[in-house]
Amino acid sequence: MRHEIWLAALTDELRRHGIGPDLAAHVVAEAAGHLRDSGEAPLRAFGPPSAYAAAVADSVGPLAVSSAVGPVRLRAVDIRKRYGRRTVLSGVSLTLHAGQVAAVVGANGSGKSTFLRICAGLAGADGGHVELHGTVGYCPQAGGTADFLLADEHFALIGAGRGLPRAAAQREGAGRAAALDWVPGDAQARHLSGGTRQKLNLVLAGLGDPDVLLLDEPYQGFDRGTYLDFWHEVWRWRDAGRAVVVVTHLLNQLDRVDVVLDLSAGSTGVAA
Amino acid sequence: MLDLCVLGLLARGDSYGYELAQSLQSAGLGTIQGGTLYPVLLRLQRSGLVTVYWREGGGGPARKYYTISAAGLAVVRDAASQWAAFAGGVGAILQERTAR
Amino acid sequence: MNRTMTIAEMTLRETVRRRGVLVLLLVLPLAFYLGRRGDHLGQSIRFVCLGLAWVLSAAALFVGSAARSLEPRLRLSGYATHQLFLGRLLALWTLGLALSTPYFLLIRFDQHDVRYGAIAVIMLLGVLVAPLLGLALSALLPRDLEGMLVLMTVVGLQMILDPAGNAARLLPFWFSREIGTYAIDHTSVGYLDRGLLHGAVTAGLLLVLVAVGFGVRLRRRPHVKIVGGLS
Repeated sequence: MRHEIWLAALTDELRRHGIGPDLAAHVVAEAAGHLRDSGEAPLRAFGPPSAYAAAVADSVGPLAVSSAVGPVRLRAVDIRKRYGRRTVLSGVSLTLHAGQVAAVVGANGSGKSTFLRICAGLAGADGGHVELHGTVGYCPQAGGTADFLLADEHFALIGAGRGLPRAAAQREGAGRAAALDWVPGDAQARHLSGGTRQKLNLVLAGLGDPDVLLLDEPYQGFDRGTYLDFWHEVWRWRDAGRAVVVVTHLLNQLDRVDVVLDLSAGSTGVAA
Repeated sequence: MLDLCVLGLLARGDSYGYELAQSLQSAGLGTIQGGTLYPVLLRLQRSGLVTVYWREGGGGPARKYYTISAAGLAVVRDAASQWAAFAGGVGAILQERTAR
Repeated sequence: MNRTMTIAEMTLRETVRRRGVLVLLLVLPLAFYLGRRGDHLGQSIRFVCLGLAWVLSAAALFVGSAARSLEPRLRLSGYATHQLFLGRLLALWTLGLALSTPYFLLIRFDQHDVRYGAIAVIMLLGVLVAPLLGLALSALLPRDLEGMLVLMTVVGLQMILDPAGNAARLLPFWFSREIGTYAIDHTSVGYLDRGLLHGAVTAGLLLVLVAVGFGVRLRRRPHVKIVGGLS
């Protein structure tokens, strides 16, 4: 009985680590066979499901980086920005194609969010220009939701902007929420926990399948499992030919992105 | 190291995970937990040194069997000769020391 | 149209869920009314109309501020600027009608010897102008507090200044005093005409202000060129 719980948890964790369903089924069946033959406790033989799933993911290697790069979706050229006498961005450039993920990294105050807001056209730039090809989904670090509205009403609201009928928007919202392990209920946004509100924020950014996704540290307050779900969602967007920019200060996913834009002092701030 | 031992065992004949774990134990390598062994097998499979197939077990559900590939056999042969040279070298040094 | 209506619907839903605010909105004009009812019936009508205009402006100010953080995202999702402010205005106008109706009925049955039709006109103009004023303030001023202070100043001046003076005509609710005189003191129709004109001009000016304020705040920055997406 306890085997089954552990095996179910393993199935979940494998999915979170981006293991395809076929391989996951094989890994689980093999582990089940081993437990049956040896009569050992799963935790003793394999350790926690998350750790074993991580080891499996390491063994099969990083997801194949898609070699088929599509047309340019985002081109930011020589972006400059000052706040008063302080220069935040001095000539930052980034080119991103369909089917690519870019990570924008750098210390606090290095202008990561500012750069993203400039790309989205939400903040002005003192120099340079941005070309966006297609529709844009933007997920702010905080805010971006209406306190007194339910999740479903948010889906309808953003969906209407994208030209989605209400029922379709709500169906899509529920599906994207499920991918983040969240079932939106009858709670107003102000009653959601910080992490759950960020899930709502992220779902709203992806609603209507925009061509370019600009995500500003959207995982604040996520637990570890949801954090992995989030990156899984990012890979899915990439595989679907979207261009994704993620502002992040966490470096452990950098080996799996296509472009890294480092805004730390001293770095060139150019990525193509 | 464990990769090589597993390959060596598979060079003797096809096997499945639990059997391999037992063989490793009886060869004096201690208890190898499933959490260590299976990722090694996945790595070997990915690098093409072993291939796999599923076979119905005695009464139970299907088991995943591993077969060493030609590339795997080549690796084992190479490793065996290198190991023999290495072990010979180390042995010679150690014996020289005890002989003094 | 669908987008404007969606904004209107969601604004109404949000507002209706703020129970405490709704109760205050409903009760405050009543306090204005009852405050002068004992000594001067006509004055209580003038005050209740100003009270309604004031709470509606305040409600619009807060609706505008609350939506601030969401609006850039709505713009990016495909909403045009005019859809955003027209949707909010539609919701506020609906709310205004709902709030004013009970007060009109109160006056209808509590007061005698006044022109009810003219009082209805004051209330309708108030419902039209007050949300425009509140939304314009929310678009032009950085925070709630500044907007609230301006609103209090406007309404305070409205009560203090002699309506016959020229300065008073610059205030947004001067039409309320002018038509009020026509309704209560049975003056000539000139008062009604001047009031109507003032209300219409005020509404037009404020609408331009709202459109410009929203347009500047939610403008597409010149450094961004969008190819093949939303306009």
